[in-house]
Amino acid sequence: MLIPYNYLPFEFKNTKPIFKEWKKLIKSTDFTLGKKMIDFEKKFAKYIGVNYCVATNNGTDALILSLKSLGVKKGDEVITVCNTFYATVGAIVACGAKPVLIDCDERYQIDCKKILHKINKNTKVIIPVHWGGASPEMNKIMQIAKKYKIHIIEDACMGIGAKIGGKSPGTFGIVNAFSMHPLKSLNVMGDGGMAVTNKKEIYNWMIKYRNHGMTDRDHIDFWGVNMRLQPLQAVVAIEGLKKIENVIKKRNENAKKLDNELKKLSPYIILPKRIKSYKETFALYMVLAKRRDKLLSYLQKKGVEAKVHYPLPLNKQKAFKIYSISQKDFLTANKQAKELITLPVHQYLSDRQLNFMIKCIKEFYK
Amino acid sequence: MKIELIDLRQRYKEESSQILKCINKVAAKGNLVLTEELSNFENNICNYTGLKYCLGLNSGTDALMIALWALGIGKGDEVITSPTSFVATIGAIIHVGAKPVFVDVADDLNIDPLKIEEKITKKTKAIMPVHWAGRMCDMNQISKIAKKYKLKIIEDAAQGMGSFFNNKHAGSFSDIAAFSTHPLKNLNGLGDGGFITTNNKLLYNKIKLYRNHGMKSRDNVHIFGVNSRLDVLNAEVLNFRLKKLKSIILKRRRNIAIYQKYLNPAYIKVPFDSKNQFSSFVIFLCLCEKRDALQSYLNKKGIQSLIYYGTPLHKHVASKKMGLDKIKLPVAENLAKKVLALPHHQGLKEKDIKFVCREVNKFYKKF
Repeated sequence: MLIPYNYLPFEFKNTKPIFKEWKKLIKSTDFTLGKKMIDFEKKFAKYIGVNYCVATNNGTDALILSLKSLGVKKGDEVITVCNTFYATVGAIVACGAKPVLIDCDERYQIDCKKILHKINKNTKVIIPVHWGGASPEMNKIMQIAKKYKIHIIEDACMGIGAKIGGKSPGTFGIVNAFSMHPLKSLNVMGDGGMAVTNKKEIYNWMIKYRNHGMTDRDHIDFWGVNMRLQPLQAVVAIEGLKKIENVIKKRNENAKKLDNELKKLSPYIILPKRIKSYKETFALYMVLAKRRDKLLSYLQKKGVEAKVHYPLPLNKQKAFKIYSISQKDFLTANKQAKELITLPVHQYLSDRQLNFMIKCIKEFYK
Repeated sequence: MKIELIDLRQRYKEESSQILKCINKVAAKGNLVLTEELSNFENNICNYTGLKYCLGLNSGTDALMIALWALGIGKGDEVITSPTSFVATIGAIIHVGAKPVFVDVADDLNIDPLKIEEKITKKTKAIMPVHWAGRMCDMNQISKIAKKYKLKIIEDAAQGMGSFFNNKHAGSFSDIAAFSTHPLKNLNGLGDGGFITTNNKLLYNKIKLYRNHGMKSRDNVHIFGVNSRLDVLNAEVLNFRLKKLKSIILKRRRNIAIYQKYLNPAYIKVPFDSKNQFSSFVIFLCLCEKRDALQSYLNKKGIQSLIYYGTPLHKHVASKKMGLDKIKLPVAENLAKKVLALPHHQGLKEKDIKFVCREVNKFYKKF
């Protein structure tokens, strides 16, 4: 039985409402910034519970825009977690700053206990990542930020639809970034992202920087770049917002089924702790598995498209070799990297498919 | 009679069903990032331009930024460019940390090659000529200077798609060239888009990595990069549109020839091709005496026109804030008072053009 990881062939099967809007858009030629994009920004800000949203090309640009809005530059240090998508660090490097990595905790999130050691006078920002659609301990991170007067930028690229004690990711930091890459809970048909903030002056700066620093066609306030969301994708995103709650609900139901069965397989399979007051998006359903590589190929042979996020954490990537680091600082992440496995959990999986996947895993450990 | 400056609405309306077909084809596949539609587009551009390599990116601005990055240009470096351009030219240079050094333009609104050498310093790393309005710079002279001083050339060919110099396409005269497929270009998508071209395999490989997070494969990141991937829905639209580009440019050139025939050159200078040039004429920029009065006269007659641009780049607030305004570029400053874009699109009929010319000539008769 095939249990696909990529659900996009199902996701955009019924594109009728999107096509209707695209047709109108093409006839209006409203292709730069545009009404649709502004409409989406308002809707998303409301959904998350922030004052302002700036739609961008992609999540990486949203991170770069957020960092730049705080003036992060060469000589600055930015703290983030070692197990995240490369773009978190790519954005820091793109601003000229130095990325400083922190180990993971048992929930594969940034280990708050290890942040303090890495703070110095150059530290400008901490970027906690809502990795996999779960969230780090935001309250602890906010306390550190307050005590040391360091800004927080949340990398909430996987966190759309999550909750931390009733609050959405993207409402803690001073300015925060999201992604709408096709494999995110709110997804478009290509790349898309947004930066959100409650601060008006940051918002005003960001909307200008995103559009060449222009006040209007004939006036440039400062030199900016082009980070505009495609209006075609804004249309897709508006449609996506209508169904996101259902997507999150279904993924949570699937995750719960998996949790209930897989926890019986301890100590072969170890689930991350689920914090009651947190709601996860399950962008990635990850567990730790003994004999992971064998399990992975076993599942793949059975048609279950399991993955690993990622076999090499950033501290072990070739790109990071330019910075001197000690692998002793990353004991948890390095250990997890050998055991982490990501199972399909998407909203189009049937009970039959879920049961089959569970059966395969149980068989493997028999 | 109402004559519009551009016919964007009309064009998208006429092609809307074909465009929707293009998008539908891609959307239905569920594969939406860096797909075969994009590599097809990149191949098609190579075929059209005769250049070896092409990479589709988010925008023309990204193309400029990434070109600068790939050549190792950053803080402390100087890049020589033109004050007569879209703001992105300077935005890209500033973004990578380098300093733009302005060289005045000549009568064709392009960088004046005779004035480049005096601006070269030890810090100069590159020359970034802009093919403004789709008219090629004198690349013979610029190439000679670059060779003499061992400088890189990045062509800002954002408006250069379909333009040739010495029978070679824009992009053939530099280490890397940056193009835009913004809706207002001759080859245009449904939103932002751009690409670079190069004949250098090393630069191609470097940028290919950089535009996709520096990933060698899904699990291995070799350098820290960014995300600048041309939207694949747009890539397929551009594939469709590229097939029509040659005939569109020919139509546009025919329009300009008609303008040339009827406008009185004593008052209004119409761009022309020198023997080396073949211009795509993205915009039809004329140099007009009493420009502002002419514009409001035409406006009253229902003829749209637009100033590209009234402020040279060194005179913007953004330049003042960085002390970039403290130079005199008399030609660019003077021409900024004269430039005016007249109606120019492939849907214009001869009688429309004649009407515009008649009104322009009528306006000048008063003097």
